[in-house]
Amino acid sequence: MESEFLLSSDTDALGPVTDPSASIMVPESSGYEPEGFTFYHMDLYESKERLEIFPDEPVGRGNGDLGETSKESTEPGEDFCSSDPNPYDLEKEVDELAKLYGLDDDTEIEQELLRGTKAMAGILQSKETSSYNKEAVAAESYAPESSSPVNSAQPQNHTQSPEEQSSSPVNGAQLQNHTQSPEEQSSSPVNGTQPHNHTQSPEEQSSSPVNGAQPQNHMQSPEEQTLPGEDSQDESQHLPNTTAADELLNQACSKEELRSSGEQDDQSIQPNSEEEDADIYCATCKFPIRAFDKLFGAHKDHEVTQLANAVTSAKEEIHKSMCKLEEQITQMENFASHLEEIFSTVEENFGRQEQNFEMHYDEVMQTLAQRYEEKVEALGEEKKQKLEALYGQLVSCGENLDICKELMETIQEVYKDKEKADFIEAAVPVVDRLGEFLKKDIDLELSALPDFGDRVIDFADIQQLMDSINTMSAPSAPVINPQAPNSATGTSVRICWGLFSDDTVEFYQLYYKQVSDDTPSEEQAELMLKVKETYCTVMNLVPNTQYEFWVSALNAAGISPVSERAVYVTAPSPPILKRKESRSCENAALVCWESGNMNPVDSYTVELSKLINGENGDIITESIVGIPNCEALIQLQPGQSYLISVRAVNMGGPSERSEPISIHTTGTYFYLNEDTAHPLLSVLEDGLTIACSEIESLECDLPFRDNGFTRCIAILGNMIPFQGKHYWEVEVDENMEYRVGVAFENTHRHGYLGANNSSWCMRHIVTPARHKYEFLHSGTTPDIRITVPPKRIGILLDYESWKLSFFNLDIAQHLYTFEGPFQHYVHPCFSLEKPGKLRIRNGIAMPTSITLL
Amino acid sequence: MNLLKKAENMALKQISSNKCFEGFQKVFEHDSVELKCKMRFGIYLPPKAEIGKCPVLYWLSGLTCTEQNFITKSGFHQAASEHGLIVVAPDTSPRGCNIEGEDESWDFGTGAGFYVDATEEPWKTNYRMYSYIKDELPKLIKANFPADSERMSIFGHSMGGHGALILALKNPGKYKSVSAFAPICNPVQCPWGKKAFGGYLGSDLTQWEAYDATHLVKSYPDSHLDILIDQGKDDQFLSAGQLLPDNFIAACTERKIPVVFRLQQGYDHSYFFIATFVNDHIRHHAKYLNA
Repeated sequence: MESEFLLSSDTDALGPVTDPSASIMVPESSGYEPEGFTFYHMDLYESKERLEIFPDEPVGRGNGDLGETSKESTEPGEDFCSSDPNPYDLEKEVDELAKLYGLDDDTEIEQELLRGTKAMAGILQSKETSSYNKEAVAAESYAPESSSPVNSAQPQNHTQSPEEQSSSPVNGAQLQNHTQSPEEQSSSPVNGTQPHNHTQSPEEQSSSPVNGAQPQNHMQSPEEQTLPGEDSQDESQHLPNTTAADELLNQACSKEELRSSGEQDDQSIQPNSEEEDADIYCATCKFPIRAFDKLFGAHKDHEVTQLANAVTSAKEEIHKSMCKLEEQITQMENFASHLEEIFSTVEENFGRQEQNFEMHYDEVMQTLAQRYEEKVEALGEEKKQKLEALYGQLVSCGENLDICKELMETIQEVYKDKEKADFIEAAVPVVDRLGEFLKKDIDLELSALPDFGDRVIDFADIQQLMDSINTMSAPSAPVINPQAPNSATGTSVRICWGLFSDDTVEFYQLYYKQVSDDTPSEEQAELMLKVKETYCTVMNLVPNTQYEFWVSALNAAGISPVSERAVYVTAPSPPILKRKESRSCENAALVCWESGNMNPVDSYTVELSKLINGENGDIITESIVGIPNCEALIQLQPGQSYLISVRAVNMGGPSERSEPISIHTTGTYFYLNEDTAHPLLSVLEDGLTIACSEIESLECDLPFRDNGFTRCIAILGNMIPFQGKHYWEVEVDENMEYRVGVAFENTHRHGYLGANNSSWCMRHIVTPARHKYEFLHSGTTPDIRITVPPKRIGILLDYESWKLSFFNLDIAQHLYTFEGPFQHYVHPCFSLEKPGKLRIRNGIAMPTSITLL
Repeated sequence: MNLLKKAENMALKQISSNKCFEGFQKVFEHDSVELKCKMRFGIYLPPKAEIGKCPVLYWLSGLTCTEQNFITKSGFHQAASEHGLIVVAPDTSPRGCNIEGEDESWDFGTGAGFYVDATEEPWKTNYRMYSYIKDELPKLIKANFPADSERMSIFGHSMGGHGALILALKNPGKYKSVSAFAPICNPVQCPWGKKAFGGYLGSDLTQWEAYDATHLVKSYPDSHLDILIDQGKDDQFLSAGQLLPDNFIAACTERKIPVVFRLQQGYDHSYFFIATFVNDHIRHHAKYLNA
């Protein structure tokens, strides 16, 4: 059963492809399904109109018998075979009608008739089916029951549609059906077309009954089931009926089931509706019973569940089946559309081939005709020449004959002359003439032969033409495409090219070599690849490098000229992020990187991953493209962690991602620029502690850096150039002497911090009397006394309000605030005026006591 | 009867009300129980006070001043409005008590209460400015205005600076913060202080030291008090040795009491000096009051 089902669906599957209307109907019909009950999808290919038209149709045609017969057929009920007389009743009617309409045997109509008959029988069948449904439901467990109609509905639609597509609609066929069916159905042995019918659609007949009968198979008589297996003609009469049943099953059933869909469920769950108090479900018997039965009845030892639970699980099962079915429907629909595509492709290809043939044969015919004309002309010419030659010969021959005759006469005259002298006198000129005449050769050779020359007709070119229909010529040069964006990686490029559509190509030869400015191109190794497709991904290349590619096409007939050369470039190598030099603040980060490529690249792309609880590093939350330089200022959200990586991009595409760096937007993070450090100042391993071991030193001995401080033992930090607030802290010993603050990047390297107008700082010095604090800018300080020497100094730079504030963090004491404005971005600066250490803390949140200020 | 009387005494009489930076600068008069006379005070109610309780910042004025000087000259309103602070500016002494010699000099008696509770006759009945500022006025403010009695700070100028410092130092935890403009830091050592303390407190120096900021610092229990002091460098009273901030700073340095003392170049003792830095002071207090 199953295999047949598959077979039938395969063989008939082409149907829907050619019938767009059928496939369009699918969503439409499912649109008015009762919700949740997808197994009514047997309506798939039936339009609603048809559903409505059909019942009217027999009545509208005045075919009262149809109504009667269908009534009759429902009466016998369970045995379909017993309704055999019905078609024969019908046949009588139809016979008469056939005479009336004067329709004749015709194979074409015959086929339609067959369908019509099917349709007719379908009504009967379907009515029965629906009545069976109820009983079957009662008789069997509902789960398989409910699923089987669906299974049958699905393929049945496919089997049905080819018929629909090729022929008139069912109702149209119906008319013919009435008139024609007698011949077909009653006189099958006599009617020569009948067997023809069967042979014509063997698949239909062998398979569709299986599909169509599937819902009935569960409940119908055994004879019905054995039908497909048997081959006799008698049985095959039923076959169309059952096949037709499929078509109309939809209509009748859908109506029936739409109406009874609710009931059916109930019925299946409560088959014995008279036992109203059945409240539990016997799993063993698969039957709802009363609780009482469990205790005392036949179900005493059976496994039972609450009816509600049983219903729920049953519904779940149904739902599962429904889902499966929906899947199947989707699959089938996809398959159908795929087939449709293939169908059109085949159509197209063959059409093209037909054209091709036509063209070539036309050419051959023309050539032949031309050749014929040429030959005929040549023949005529020859004939004319020969005839002329023969005629000329004939004329000259006649002339000679005349001369001969005249000579004869003259001689005879001479003989008549008796006089000797006269004779002699007369004979001499005659003899002379005669001698002269006889001296001339009389040409008796035929100047032209009666037969014509044995001309060999040369069919070589024709042969070639004929051959060219099936054999191809060598392809023309392919056209290589320019490089597509993102078609390359660091080590590979994907090259595409096109061929002329007429060409047949067996494979391509793709040549390439590296383009280099340094070495002459001849010296570069030229490589070749054989490719079947019109594209190729060439591997093992050097990153960010140009390659030249060209291609030629080959087939059995030969090789094409090479294409133009196209230059492709491999994607760059990933850049290298400068971990140490990245800086950030609450709202932004400045990252720098090295290109990682010898040749310039087009741009860079920065990719951000916002970490959520330290995870999500793989998900790119933002990317910034088209960065021309090796650094980027990226806006971020405060208080977050990010992984930042960068790609280099060129024509070929982006490189791999660089190693990422993590950025935390808590506070402001900067690094110390050791290039600016005074030689006596050292940065310890943590990168944020500065130390100085001796103050006094001979200046000439010191290895001053180009950009380093020379007098003040100081160092600058590199802070992100970004508006907003920046906060950092400095930890110092109470007796340490230092300057901390901010300075422009280009602050005087030979001066002291705070002594000029390019730096602002807090200075601490210890005098014998007290701790002295100065807040220096341009060499001046306000007179400020601070009673508690700070050990932890908070420094807050606020670009928005142009303020630089200092705090004693331990007691949240505001010490002093410089009021800007700062014309440029500033950098933190630190200097030591006594041997010792100063520790910087950054990347930390601002204490709340400070945020209030 | 007693209750009724008290209720009467709590009654306020509004003398003036002017809208200022979306809030109101008002002056009220009331019968002071502590001082046994009618007392006026200025109060600035910021716009925030209309929707909820606000912290209170007390301002103590200097010699010869009334409640009017600060509210008309210092220009504190904008900052107070922005930070949502109620600013209360009381008078500097009892008035109209008909004590003999009360109006004899500008630096003693009327306008020169020195924020002490007098122990000597004839002053001890009325001249109880310390208790008035410490207890009666806050109660009155709490009862009549949307004031958060948990959050209050104090600042002042000159004699008021002295008053602010001693009130803060004598009542640890009562005031969130304290600041002063050119305060009299060590009254027992200066002519003004000697005269006033002698008059109000008698000759016992230990009594004096109980109202001397520099002495009080030495026994101040903890350091959770952020003191901001601004001092004009060209203040004539600084050079006259009336203010003596160095003594106070030295004491604070020794006791590790946090002080930021700013000696402001070119400023004198006037309200022009106050107006220049009053915003810094308001911000200083707001930092603690709004924390």
